[in-house]
Amino acid sequence: MQRLLSFEQTPPLSVPLRFFLTAPVFAALAGALLLWFGPEALQSRWSPATLALTHLLTLGFLTMCMLGALLQILPVVAGIEVPGGSVTASGVHTLLAAGTITLVVAFLTASPLLFKLALPLLLGAFGWLLTALTGRVWRANANPMLAAIRLALAALGVTAVLGAILASAFAWSLSLPLAVLTDIHASWGLLGWLALLVAGVAYQVVPMFQVTPVYPQWMTRYYAWSVFALLAAWSAAAATAAGSWWFLLLSAGLAGACAALSLSTFYLLWKRKRPKPDPTTMFWRSALGSLLAAALLWTAGAVLPGLAEAPAYPLALGVLVIAGFGGSVVNGMLYKIVPFLVWYHLQHNAELGCAKAPNVKQILRDTDAQRQFWLHLAALLLLLAATMLPQWLARIAAVAYMLSAAMLWHNLLKAARVFREKSAAGAAAAATAPRKT
Amino acid sequence: MSDPADIVDIDVCGLEPPEPMERVLDALSTLQPGQRLRVLIPREPFPLYRILDNNGYLHETTSRQDYLYEVLIWQK
Repeated sequence: MQRLLSFEQTPPLSVPLRFFLTAPVFAALAGALLLWFGPEALQSRWSPATLALTHLLTLGFLTMCMLGALLQILPVVAGIEVPGGSVTASGVHTLLAAGTITLVVAFLTASPLLFKLALPLLLGAFGWLLTALTGRVWRANANPMLAAIRLALAALGVTAVLGAILASAFAWSLSLPLAVLTDIHASWGLLGWLALLVAGVAYQVVPMFQVTPVYPQWMTRYYAWSVFALLAAWSAAAATAAGSWWFLLLSAGLAGACAALSLSTFYLLWKRKRPKPDPTTMFWRSALGSLLAAALLWTAGAVLPGLAEAPAYPLALGVLVIAGFGGSVVNGMLYKIVPFLVWYHLQHNAELGCAKAPNVKQILRDTDAQRQFWLHLAALLLLLAATMLPQWLARIAAVAYMLSAAMLWHNLLKAARVFREKSAAGAAAAATAPRKT
Repeated sequence: MSDPADIVDIDVCGLEPPEPMERVLDALSTLQPGQRLRVLIPREPFPLYRILDNNGYLHETTSRQDYLYEVLIWQK
């Protein structure tokens, strides 16, 4: 097989970077919102402030990073070029950012007009992305990562449609079973879109970046399909027979699937060939620990109905899955993706030719990432405790979360600055040096 | 095809990215005229292809039975 790929197909660094530099701003906004509303945002999962907070994190932080990473990883790992390249990326980015802000303000003000505005923005973002990717992703040679990404994208579609139905209910005062629809929407978003994308990407990046053995074949072959099928059956049960024994069985199946992803990845990290954990290893551990804790808490809630009725229960589950699992994985992966992108683009720079770019560890120092990890962990534990003691801890957790997001942003900006400085130095050197023939 | 003696082999399995790519670029910078580089790698290195093309190299990739890839690289 011989191929000649042109550099022109590689989108400029600013394309993926805009996703990664916008996301921490949304995380900081989530912290600011919690600081402003305090305990009110952690008293019930249904309060407007809680819904706004949740979507700042799920859309503004997690999905923002996941889409940026997906647009980046598909060409790099699967050789899939994204149709529309830079235009698709900037269009999806703008619509997602604008749609998230509109939706958040809509929740806070209960304004039907803003829900009507948020709908086309967010449906536009996801519709554009899915239209651009679906054909290429489905036609490409399937490998386990791509198979999981396909199902994660399908789950994103389901989440977006359910979200649109819920937003329409607010926009046009429709009478719909909001509680059950919200549960199904959240499950497809968190266990489908988030967990399946993390699983698929983990098949590649855990062995690659953590230098571990590969995932067992039963996992890479059957995991994503099993979770997808379980989610579909669970949704049907939630809509028609919540509380029945088979609904509980399917819930246990989903909790078991979360535990399986957590434990199998923990095992691989334990088998890691390098003794010293790097900052991303620590973020993986906190993500997997949170996912396992969420699975155990979910199971405990199913067995002990008294526990599930406590207002803190759904909030603690949300903190564990959104800030603990998703937030930690995404934060940790950013410390691999951004320095690699900067390094790659410097290396690729025509003025530099094959000259060596700075080492990735010089682009983003481990000590900076490690410091932010401890702040992230403290914020996560405080958030979790604040679901039980909102009066005491909501605002302290908010400050810790804002600081962690600000430090992440600062670290990523520093890496982006290395690119600007080195590119300028390379261009100046090329201008003064005689041209290579 | 030229003599197999002209092939320089490197194995970049078990290294954390972007070390494999750095090793390949280092090896290319010491390659003598007429020599080719053969890289053993556990995944298909799509980002490397672009750098190679940008710097006047051609390549040929073969996937092996043991799920590893061999990438043969030579100057245009």
